[in-house]
Amino acid sequence: MLSRSIYFILIVLLFVSCSAPQDQIVVYVSEDQVFSEPILKDFERATGIKVKAVYDTEEAKSTGAMNRLIAEKDNPQADVYWANEPIRAEVLKQKGISTSYVSPKAKDIPPVFKDPGGYWTGFSARARVLIVNNSVKEKPKTILAYTDPRWKGKSVITNPLFGTTTSEIAALFTIWGDEQAKEFMTAMRNNDVAISTNNGESADFVATRQYDFSLVDSDDAVNRMRQEKPVTMVYPDQGENDIGCLIVPNAAVLIKGAPHPEAAGKLIDYLLSRETEKKLAFADCAQIPLHPGVQTPPELKPIKDIKVMQVNYAEVARKMVEIQPFLKAWMGL
Amino acid sequence: MARRIFLTFTVILLFAIGILPVLSMLIKSMIVDGHFSLASYGGLLTSSHQWTLMGHSLVLSSLVTALTVAVGMPLGVLLGKTDLPFRRFFTILFVVPLLIPPYIIAVSWFDLLGRQGLLAHLVGVSATGTITHFLFGLPGCVAVLFSIFLPIPMLLTMIFLRTINPGLEEAGRLVSGWRGVMKGITIPLILPGVLLSAILVFLLSFGEFSVPNFLRYDVFPVESFTQFSAFYNFKAATAAAVPLAAVTLILLLAEAAFLRERTYQLRPSPELKRLPLVKLGAYRKWLFVSVATAGLMIVIVPIVILVIQSAGLNAYAEALNRAGDSLLRSLVYAVIGATLLTVLGFVTGYLIQTKALRYWRSVDSLTIFLFALPSTVIGIGLISLWNTPWTNFIYSTPAIIILGYLAKYTALTSRISVTQLAQIPPSMEEAAQVAGAGWFRRMAFIVAPLARRGLLAGWLVGYIFSLRDTGITMLVYPAGHETLPVRIFTLMANGSPELIAALCMVMITATLLPVSIFWMIPGIMTRKAIR
Repeated sequence: MLSRSIYFILIVLLFVSCSAPQDQIVVYVSEDQVFSEPILKDFERATGIKVKAVYDTEEAKSTGAMNRLIAEKDNPQADVYWANEPIRAEVLKQKGISTSYVSPKAKDIPPVFKDPGGYWTGFSARARVLIVNNSVKEKPKTILAYTDPRWKGKSVITNPLFGTTTSEIAALFTIWGDEQAKEFMTAMRNNDVAISTNNGESADFVATRQYDFSLVDSDDAVNRMRQEKPVTMVYPDQGENDIGCLIVPNAAVLIKGAPHPEAAGKLIDYLLSRETEKKLAFADCAQIPLHPGVQTPPELKPIKDIKVMQVNYAEVARKMVEIQPFLKAWMGL
Repeated sequence: MARRIFLTFTVILLFAIGILPVLSMLIKSMIVDGHFSLASYGGLLTSSHQWTLMGHSLVLSSLVTALTVAVGMPLGVLLGKTDLPFRRFFTILFVVPLLIPPYIIAVSWFDLLGRQGLLAHLVGVSATGTITHFLFGLPGCVAVLFSIFLPIPMLLTMIFLRTINPGLEEAGRLVSGWRGVMKGITIPLILPGVLLSAILVFLLSFGEFSVPNFLRYDVFPVESFTQFSAFYNFKAATAAAVPLAAVTLILLLAEAAFLRERTYQLRPSPELKRLPLVKLGAYRKWLFVSVATAGLMIVIVPIVILVIQSAGLNAYAEALNRAGDSLLRSLVYAVIGATLLTVLGFVTGYLIQTKALRYWRSVDSLTIFLFALPSTVIGIGLISLWNTPWTNFIYSTPAIIILGYLAKYTALTSRISVTQLAQIPPSMEEAAQVAGAGWFRRMAFIVAPLARRGLLAGWLVGYIFSLRDTGITMLVYPAGHETLPVRIFTLMANGSPELIAALCMVMITATLLPVSIFWMIPGIMTRKAIR
């Protein structure tokens, strides 16, 4: 009787550990759950494939999806990673955690937003914009305003050790070179810039006129505008000789050794579709479609009308790691 | 023999569940490219920033401890030793914050005092600027953690008061008033309990991450968390967790050295029924008003704010629509966790109470150490140990969450069992033994039924702590198995305040409803167990 029970338990354990039903998929998500979950539910309805998700928690800067993928490198649980910016996708590529998948749905997405080897593909982007209080008569038009004495003590920036602000600073290092970028950071510090903990807080500071402007994500600015806060969104550095505005797309990534590769391909195709981009554009996250011709809400410019900062995201990812000691020192840590 | 084998097996199980993950994490942090290396520990506490964080943690924990003990002990005396009206109601009221996930209390105060909170809507943003400034920082953290941990010294004071032989106080009353009796007899006798509560509050505040993180006060657990979450550096995260574990260990060793023998076997006085109550006289009314005001501010206001913020059926409909499945999962996992915690705690409690194995003291220290260890450390350890293709049946299923509960919370059910078992005369078990009953029969038909009140109380405590857990669950939950507290956390990023408040209310109801049902339905038996 006892040996029969043990045999039964072993069979069950073997079944549980080895089976990977193909009518389900595991996705790790760094995009906010309020915005990503409806898209994944739509995918379930459209395909009948059950989606099991692990969501990230930006608010708590929690461990979340990215760390799990790294921890699970030798025993992958996830099929797809929905990154909310391509830098994380690049880190996964560099660590050998992702694999190539070239989606037929991504043909007309501009090459700058895709990894040439297919390790990640961008979709639905945020722009890094200046949110400016409406009481400011002459609005800043460049991120160099942070170093302009005119704005001394009147600007705020999010802690550059985290999130898209780190990406932006790293991007500046790749475009300007280390020396000029460090000079910019020092000048910004000397100009009494305030530091906030996240982009939402920066936007709120500007909305309540505690500071005149801040560099934030476009969704933070659009949200405040939709809440009828007295703010304006400025796409920075749009002049002919300017560096342009950093675009931060979401990225779809296929995980190496994914337990459900077929379903994973279907989900990535779905995420990269024009329909998904339209939904994310009109949702509260107000993300800019990268497919040409997809309708956008009135607060957003179409991607073709924005002068885009020409960056190599792989280089930005490497630079981001390299400048961590500098950024920590800059923060006085 | 059966007893020895079974208890040894339980100890091995406890070791495998709790200590192996932590050891696995430590060992992996010391192996670089296949060779032993302490490189990850090279930068430990070498930067001024790390010392600053450690200082912040120590200041925060010390302030919270001082404040909770300064208020909690007198409150415990008032509720446990005097004729204050509505003592039982107040006891339950003040315990409520301890049952709720800590960050929910922080969210509630933020909803009231934040820049766009209810107060700002009422009196204007500019008028609330200073209050908001204080909320975000040390004062806010101290206030929130104080309200959460206040029940610990309060309850331990009440419990220790019940262990005092009334004869001692009555003898004292012959030569002195109550003031002298309290000073010379009562307070010295409950002091070990107060000190124990101080250590517990200090350790819990020291390892607490969610409230300081929400209220933006950098503490040392942030360092480990940041290394893990922002820089994806497991080895550095482990190294950064070592000082946390060290402080925990030092305090537990101190507790073991100075207090253990006095806090182990809490036996209610055999003459409990004639426990003398202090007559408050003219102070009764004023003390009632003071306690009621404190209860209002600490417990009722935060809950009312959440109710106001979540007002409207739409928010609740959306909350249930978005998180109904998470709620169900939370309840199922909490019930399973509580049941297993009760069994494991009962067996370890029996081992500690009867000193059945030579190393019984180590088992007790082990459970307390795991309870005091920050959740992040246990979570990383669980991933480190169980994340292999051979253990997928644990790692990719809710079993990993249950293991986390067992590792973290066995101390609670174990200590409750020790207290309950101490009240059962050993002669009961011995009589059954003489009659020829084997150990398992004695446990099943003699000891367990006699300890049923303790088992029930242990189950409730296990249920509450499993249900409210975020620290471990957040790190290890398998895809598609997120619990309600985790879902609240993930929806906090850009979720509407109404939705978050409604989810918090659902969470509070899910926590308190079963407790209330247990409290009301089985009647006097359960009340006694909880008391």
